[in-house]
Amino acid sequence: MADLKTVGTSVPRKDAIEKVTGSAEFIEDRYMGPMLYAKMKKSTVAHGKIKNIDTTRALKHPGVKAVLTGKEYPNRIGLYLIDRTFLAVDKVRFWGEPVAVVAAVTEKAAAEAVDLIEVEYEELPGVFDPREGMKPDAPIIHEDLANYEIVPIFYPEKGTNIANHFKVRKGDIDKGFAEADKIIERDYYVPQMQHVPIETHKAAVQWSLDGKLTVWSTAQSPNVVRQLLAKSLDMPMHKIRVISSYIGGGFGCKAGASIEGLLVPIAQKFPGHIVRIVFNREEDMQGTFTRQALYSKLKTGVKKDGRITALQYEMVWDGGAYTEYGVNIVRAAGYSSTGAYDIPNVKTDSYCVYTNNSIGGPVRGFGMCEMQWGIERQLEEIARELGMDPLEVRLINGMKKGSTTASGQVIHDLDYDKCLKVVADKIGWGKKEESRDGKYRGKGIAGLVKCPAQPSNAASSAMIRINEDGTAHVMIGATEMGQGMLTAISQIASEALHIPVDKIDIKVPDTDFTPYEWQSVGSRITYTCGTSVKRAAEDALGQIYRVAADLLETPQEDLSFDGKKVFSAKNPDLTATIREVADSCKKCTGEGIAGPIIGRGSFVPTNMTNLDPETGQGNPGLFYCFGATGVEVEVDPETGVVKILQLACSIDAGKAVNPQLCTAQLHGGTIMGLSTALYEEVRFDKGIMLNRNFTDYKIATIDNTPHMDSFIVETPETNGPYGARGIGEQPMIGVAPAIANAVSDALGVDFNTFPLTPERVWQAIKNKK
Amino acid sequence: MLSYDYVKCNDLRLACQELEEGEQVYLLAGGTDLIVGMRGGKFSAKTLVDIKDVPELKVLEEDDRGITVGAAVTLNEAVVFAPIRDNVPILAEGCHSVGSYSIRNRATMAGNICNASPAADTAAPLYCLDALVNIKSSEGSRSMPIKDFFAGPGKTALNKGELVQSILIPRPYPEGKGVYLKASRTGSVDLATVGVAVQRWGEEVKIAIGAVAATPVRAFSVEKAINEKGEKNYADAARLVHDDISPITDLRGSREYRYHMVEVLVRRGLEQTLGV
Ligand SMILES: Cc1cc2nc3c(=O)[nH]c(=O)nc-3n(C[C@H](O)[C@H](O)[C@H](O)COP(=O)(O)OP(=O)(O)OC[C@H]3O[C@@H](n4cnc5c(N)ncnc54)[C@H](O)[C@@H]3O)c2cc1C
Repeated sequence: MADLKTVGTSVPRKDAIEKVTGSAEFIEDRYMGPMLYAKMKKSTVAHGKIKNIDTTRALKHPGVKAVLTGKEYPNRIGLYLIDRTFLAVDKVRFWGEPVAVVAAVTEKAAAEAVDLIEVEYEELPGVFDPREGMKPDAPIIHEDLANYEIVPIFYPEKGTNIANHFKVRKGDIDKGFAEADKIIERDYYVPQMQHVPIETHKAAVQWSLDGKLTVWSTAQSPNVVRQLLAKSLDMPMHKIRVISSYIGGGFGCKAGASIEGLLVPIAQKFPGHIVRIVFNREEDMQGTFTRQALYSKLKTGVKKDGRITALQYEMVWDGGAYTEYGVNIVRAAGYSSTGAYDIPNVKTDSYCVYTNNSIGGPVRGFGMCEMQWGIERQLEEIARELGMDPLEVRLINGMKKGSTTASGQVIHDLDYDKCLKVVADKIGWGKKEESRDGKYRGKGIAGLVKCPAQPSNAASSAMIRINEDGTAHVMIGATEMGQGMLTAISQIASEALHIPVDKIDIKVPDTDFTPYEWQSVGSRITYTCGTSVKRAAEDALGQIYRVAADLLETPQEDLSFDGKKVFSAKNPDLTATIREVADSCKKCTGEGIAGPIIGRGSFVPTNMTNLDPETGQGNPGLFYCFGATGVEVEVDPETGVVKILQLACSIDAGKAVNPQLCTAQLHGGTIMGLSTALYEEVRFDKGIMLNRNFTDYKIATIDNTPHMDSFIVETPETNGPYGARGIGEQPMIGVAPAIANAVSDALGVDFNTFPLTPERVWQAIKNKK
Repeated sequence: MLSYDYVKCNDLRLACQELEEGEQVYLLAGGTDLIVGMRGGKFSAKTLVDIKDVPELKVLEEDDRGITVGAAVTLNEAVVFAPIRDNVPILAEGCHSVGSYSIRNRATMAGNICNASPAADTAAPLYCLDALVNIKSSEGSRSMPIKDFFAGPGKTALNKGELVQSILIPRPYPEGKGVYLKASRTGSVDLATVGVAVQRWGEEVKIAIGAVAATPVRAFSVEKAINEKGEKNYADAARLVHDDISPITDLRGSREYRYHMVEVLVRRGLEQTLGV
């Protein structure tokens, strides 16, 4: 990739000045017009029939304009499995589920009216552990599952709580275990966690007098919100406009459609008004997606030389009360179930099970953190059983060019070995530090891989308008939630278009004006949106050359464009400024040549396939991104406190479009991983979320953030724009197992779950004695 | 949604009057417990009386009697006050372990003890220093030892109409080192799972512990072993602390872990103050 000008440089963030000065607009900053404020009435039982909802007193409360219950708005919604309503209808399935919504002229009146709504429930026995939920006599949470609409790549089991059963059958599992010298088997558990973006979920909705619906939302995908609303409201798409502001962090919790629909029926009753809802932290923690808990059983067969011959993985996921999105996490974990390793014989069963816990859904990693926790812990156990170096075991089995994934997809563009080796070198792998002051030291390493979990037809598109003066506007549908997308995408546009990045404007999306984008999820935007932008830029550049060729009366092939002027390599006298070309170009005779230049580009994957329903074999990955984490810890065996001494992470980015932003993602993901490894866990008591705010849901602060060493490996992705692949989620995946492996190394005790809180570490030491 | 009357007081008498006459009146110092508690439904206040700028409550001084920390003095102000750092560094440690720098910019020591959480981080050091709480009302003034001030979780010995004017750390100051050792889940902006204060007084020690009972408690069994029986084995002495505490299990830690951690921290505190 010779001679790149912009791609590969750390140009400053497009949104830097706005963000630093506080002038960046978020939903709450906007004055939109006459407002109504919405508040939800929430279920006080985890599973129950709604016997009666009495809204009389609430309706009479001063300032209240409307009170709505599920009965008035029973249409179902969902991304993959259409199992959810915005307000509970007839039955509640989790504690805190919205049963009614109040709109009032002030937020205070709305909140007061919520307290005046009386709901009578008939409580039903609940399911709080998905393993129990799979049993034949378990209470059924969705009686109607068999009749739900579903994308036909998921496999619910009728009459049960199983919303998806995904299978992998690769090679011959019996033969694989028969060939093994040793078989290692263990259970693992990963608890629920929360995304905790700095900005909570927010939405505002306006129904105009001519029947147009405008939605402002913190959603990660305006186009998906529009699509789901169009379907559930039975409205044509041109009558729905979804506008995205900047988003204060998503991490998956704002994927799909979440709260916008709640407001629509109210807005319809009060045309012209703007109905807004702003979740407080507790509502955000409890009422939006939670990372699904995972109960798993992993069995590995291995030869004496360290080669893995067979892997059998059973994963039981706590899908929570609705699994419209969760079914796809379960699928992704299934088809990726060998992690970063090439294993010939695989049998995987991944189950998504309804429970009466909070709704499960996407979180950075999309099942990979949970699933690879088991893989990376078990590799440690294998190494110990065989008396081998854990790094060596990883290098032996790690994927290489031509390896196949669990689904049999062949991988070409990777250097996993290098990812492992750079972090191992950095932390001084193999050199055991002595314990000091009664504290123990240990080192751990873990690998990681992830592909975007997206439908095979998830598309992107872009338009580039060249202004009369040769500056440009890039229009896309991806959202900016802090990841730096706007900057990376404009670098790709600049590179392909030859127009300097500071002459390119780019904004957050508005579905009335910006072209289609599936979702800003799955670490896919740089690749997918980036490809469509590159194509749009090439299209525009092609037009520039065609017009200039006409103007200069010279063959296109001879022309070059340096961002300012188009000139002929053969004849230096033949040159036209970009202004001349872009501003409705005409000949000296006055005859017109061409009007304004608009480039367009779109993208849809061509390398993905459906998976065989029985064997899970096929190509689900658009690209695979590998990496590794290495950690050195010091553990106080008396208190259980784990201190991170060294933390190194690597990622094979293909090509870092903006190295500084890439490093920021490495840092952010690693810290998020560290936070889950040591502190984060949602605690439930029979479906009631006990730690719904920061008093007791602890995340890492700056004090808990150690120095990090990050390494960007660049093995070009053949079809990625300039060789790039997405890296946003990946850095998080290896951190928890790497830390646990290091703590294990320090103490000689094992962990099958995390977070490794001081108390849990202490307990593990105590149990060992 | 919070909704209340707000009264800004610049006069101690007026504050006392508001307290005495009104219903559901709460004093607002830093507000770092009060506002959080109101939002969570713990208090329902009709009126907040802001005492941040009452001159009598801004007093931070040292005189013959000792160090007086007024009720409106922030923890950050207390932490850097030289007489505290020099004479009773254990209290500076306790203050410094509260929340974060920005919280301590608002939070006060009086607010910390009036909130009466058994986990209040300034409490255990104040117990070891035999601090006195100066109480004021329209009727007059009175003082009481800190140990009598804490009456139960969220309960103080204040009567209606009374407020804390200041906290006195009396002379003579302790001779010898004191440490405040706090265990928490993250070690950063977190409430104490347990907090242990160990203060050397010449050849003796005083030990107080937070988050292990309805109020902070003194570890008299351990003190007795050290001070009266001359126990030199600190591990053995620390083990006796189990008799002094009755922790519970909550989201911050189990009863079992609390027993264990108190024992560990008491032993470490003894080692650090009396020498290994
Ligand atoms: C993020 C965060 C972290 C925290 N971390 C810690 C921690 O690590 N350790 C810890 O101990 N605490 C912690 N706290 C709790 C709190 O900050 C402290 O207890 C603080 O010292 C309270 O002081 P304040 O001035 O803010 O009190 P306020 O909130 O103003 O008052 C607390 C209570 O005391 C009453 N009151 C205040 N002044 C007087 C007075 N003079 N006379 C009578 N009554 C009075 C109020 O009416 C109220 O009921 C934390 C709080 C937050 C928000």
